Amino acid sequence: MPIDAATSALNLSFPPTAAATGFVIPQSRSFTVSVNPVVLFSILDHYLRRQEKQHRVIGTLLGVRSEDGSEVEVRNCFPVPHDESQNQVAVDMEYHSNMFELHKKVNSKEVIVGWYATGANLNQWNALIQDFYSKEVLPPFQAIHLTMDTDLKNEEKLLGVKTYVSAPIGTSAKPENCLFLPVPCDIKYFDAERSGLDLLASAKDQPDRSTTLISDMDNLEKTILAVQEMLDRISDYVNKVLNGTIPENNNIGRFLMDTISVVPKIEKLEFEKMFNSHLQDLLMVVYLANMTRTQLAIAERLQLLI
Amino acid sequence: MATNGTSTTIATTATTTTTKESPSNVNVTNVTAALDIEGNVPLESVQLDGLVVLKIIKHCREFFPNTVTGQLLGLDVNGVLEVTNCFPFPGPTKSDDENELVDGARYQVDMMRCLREVNVDHNTVGWYQSTYLGSFVTHKLIETQHNYQQTFNNKSVVIVHDVSRSTHGNLSLRAFRFTQAFMDAQRENKFTTESLLKNKLTFSNIFEELPITIKNSHLITALLHSLDDFENVIPQGGISTLDKETVTGPLTPNFDTLELSLDPYIEKNLEFLLEAIDEHGQEQSNFAFWQRSVTREQTKLQTALQKRKQENVHRLAAGQELLPEEEITKLFKLPPEPSRLDSLLITAQINNYCKQLNQYSGPTLGKLFMSGELQKP
Repeated sequence: MPIDAATSALNLSFPPTAAATGFVIPQSRSFTVSVNPVVLFSILDHYLRRQEKQHRVIGTLLGVRSEDGSEVEVRNCFPVPHDESQNQVAVDMEYHSNMFELHKKVNSKEVIVGWYATGANLNQWNALIQDFYSKEVLPPFQAIHLTMDTDLKNEEKLLGVKTYVSAPIGTSAKPENCLFLPVPCDIKYFDAERSGLDLLASAKDQPDRSTTLISDMDNLEKTILAVQEMLDRISDYVNKVLNGTIPENNNIGRFLMDTISVVPKIEKLEFEKMFNSHLQDLLMVVYLANMTRTQLAIAERLQLLI
Repeated sequence: MATNGTSTTIATTATTTTTKESPSNVNVTNVTAALDIEGNVPLESVQLDGLVVLKIIKHCREFFPNTVTGQLLGLDVNGVLEVTNCFPFPGPTKSDDENELVDGARYQVDMMRCLREVNVDHNTVGWYQSTYLGSFVTHKLIETQHNYQQTFNNKSVVIVHDVSRSTHGNLSLRAFRFTQAFMDAQRENKFTTESLLKNKLTFSNIFEELPITIKNSHLITALLHSLDDFENVIPQGGISTLDKETVTGPLTPNFDTLELSLDPYIEKNLEFLLEAIDEHGQEQSNFAFWQRSVTREQTKLQTALQKRKQENVHRLAAGQELLPEEEITKLFKLPPEPSRLDSLLITAQINNYCKQLNQYSGPTLGKLFMSGELQKP
């Protein structure tokens, strides 16, 4: 039995540098992957723009790692042309390295963390490409493989996003033999991106798939309506509980208590003082701003009169 | 930023565009039609792909509060500028300017070539810039946009993204391009009172703002729907660390707009406004100084002319040859009028700040009264 060979192969896959320098070996602990929405958008765009007879597309994922290696954030990606046939696969490595150089010029913090492919199937080509990317990723980290189910042939008809790492399998380590292990993955975005995403999401139910920017006031109105709707729902629930139509839920009660206690208790006089001074400040600013604008408008008219 | 010199290096290649999705098959005929009559249909609106919006936000956020720029790629179809992709420009490096320009140009060419290989529209339609509190009316923007508009036959826009405003819950993206009047004035590079009058140029018609629409592709729409059903996109089945109690889906309602503390924002805005007004005052006094010196020179000239005339009268009486009068006018040089571009830009900026303050205070007043209602017993 070639057990020895197998074990030694497994041992080899742990980079000796990690142990020597005394760092935590990342492979030995689990890590999570978080994906920025822009990556998913880019992948889908790439898939839309694929060559005519191409069934799937691949590309490189860029991102950053947290210091202890427990979290990998995929923040960017770029497409890589590849050619796949019955018995061979060719990845344009030169394109890959050129593009990485270009990306490095803009953001030097982002490094190669793995690669993506569309389609939910994992086959022997995936293993080969994974082998290539494993060499691109700086040790002691592993390359991540992200798949997106663009065929929508799964049961739920959803764009399933899955991430994997690979482990060598078999009696001797061959590049085309590997085991893809799923890793947990979630979607992460920044505050600044949230408003953009919200806007994009507002287009999803439109028949023409488009939307326009809205003003601050309209946005506020929308939010307030949402809050109102929630208040209506909760008061409806409370009434029902009081009437005894539905059984009470202690958890919900506690949440409600917490929420209500968030409203600060301020002395009436004090609040009035704060409220009024704030109001005055604001009105003053509005007045001054309008004044300045009027001045400018007058100056403009005068200039045109000459 | 290495954009000025570089924009001229790219060839406008609007020939091969790939059909992106099924409905744009309809557009293909339009595309050729639009190309035939290129230059005849003026731009009326800008249509951004969802991907472009996210890419711009990402780039601008990463380098906030520094100003960053990037290039927009797409196509104009019958007056609608469709922006389908974009890429960021590298930030300014420490190296000397000469190298930076060359590097920037090479970067741009390389990037365009690479994107072309993967069927991205490789036709430049403009550029984007990040801004802080709407202070984007600067010389740099003017120069770059002028370059773009000159190179790309007036069919290019600049998209300005305000990161600080967008964090308050409402995305701030604006598309601008120069009006013809400003382009004419800039081409002559003369911003004297006279030329401003001739072109009827004031602060309000430097830019023309184009309405922005955002359009998602079918697949993106599918993705957004899937994201709504967050747990389904990323299966939970035992491998996820996501705690169902704490995790909220990516597209839950956003209540950032209800944030009450907008004071720092208004304070900063006022600060910028004051600065701009100070600058404006300085420009005014520069102009007044110029006017004074012109009058001074003119009186000097008049007295000298008067003197010469009297002398000539004496000479005529004495039968001597007359001295030419033109010589004197040549002796006195009127100081050149300072460029009014600065004051023009500053007024545009002041107008911008004031508008912003107004736009802010409206919702803030609403929120203030809302909190007032909350405190009522």
